Amino acid sequence: MVLLAVFAGIALFFAYLAISERNLVRALIYSAVQSSAFAFIFYLLRAPDIVLVYVPISVGIYPAAILFLIRKTKEVEEP
Amino acid sequence: MRKILIAASIVIIAVVSSIAVTLGGALGPLFGGVRSLAEFYLLNVFNARNETLTAMSPEAVTSIVWDYRGLDTLFETVVFYMAIIGCVALHRGIELIRKGAEIGLSRIVKTVTKILIPLNIVIAASIALHGHLTPGGGFQAGAAMAVAPIIVIVVFSRFFLIRKGITKEVALSLRSMGLLGIALVALIPLIAWAATGSTAYVMQNQMKAGSSFSFPAYVGDSLVSGSLIWYYIFEFLAVTFGFAIVFLLLSVDEKTVKKVLEGEKHGY
Repeated sequence: MVLLAVFAGIALFFAYLAISERNLVRALIYSAVQSSAFAFIFYLLRAPDIVLVYVPISVGIYPAAILFLIRKTKEVEEP
Repeated sequence: MRKILIAASIVIIAVVSSIAVTLGGALGPLFGGVRSLAEFYLLNVFNARNETLTAMSPEAVTSIVWDYRGLDTLFETVVFYMAIIGCVALHRGIELIRKGAEIGLSRIVKTVTKILIPLNIVIAASIALHGHLTPGGGFQAGAAMAVAPIIVIVVFSRFFLIRKGITKEVALSLRSMGLLGIALVALIPLIAWAATGSTAYVMQNQMKAGSSFSFPAYVGDSLVSGSLIWYYIFEFLAVTFGFAIVFLLLSVDEKTVKKVLEGEKHGY
């Protein structure tokens, strides 16, 4: 339960960083860290099937897809 | 001001949802032991004595995903299929040229990638082929496998992947093969019905009440869980190459894409 709370806290903190960051690449990295914390939470909740799909998605495919999309637009969000 | 608002809204959502789940009981009682529905599945997924209800797979999640709730998963696969069709349709007319400057990253990164890619393929294949025995399955394996083309595109360049034979057309046809395989496995009971005249249901795995058709649960001594392993192999193909197409198309630079899109007479 304590580990669960710790990872949930990390996820919340990085969600806040990802939303408030104006540089899209940095926001993407924060968001990927948040997804990784979610993967740990799924592992602690004993859902190994979800972990197996969440790790490649959160660490590999999701950041890669968004990075490709950021390359097609601007790096910094305008206020 | 903006940052305070963001932080406050995140904190409020977290507190409200956690209170709803724990004290409010929005998800039902937590830590109350195994519920009756879960008990049914745990008792029946690998129960050779209960022939009409078993899925012959020790993995409860797999049995539910492709046997008891098979149609739901079929529609999920269709959603993924449509998403990729949309991506391909958006990028129509863009030719993926074979030749280009293969700059890529440094030699160190390339060597490490060469070592890691075979490992990635082996892990993905084992997740797919053991999906009916251990946690894992077609989509999980496909997602793990899809990381390989992404890494190759980033480290070596898109042209390397295309030169090695993974073109858009090849990926599209392999993905279609996967989907056709899923459809075929779902319809094999119907073929058996047409051939023998005995009752069979679409997406049937093991025998049901009033129907004696069932996929072989064992091949030799190894457990293959009837149709489950076939669904996973074909889903693995479909998901892997679906992602490969998307990343091949996304890696084309924006100038080329825009030129093609603007070149059409009737708008975008």
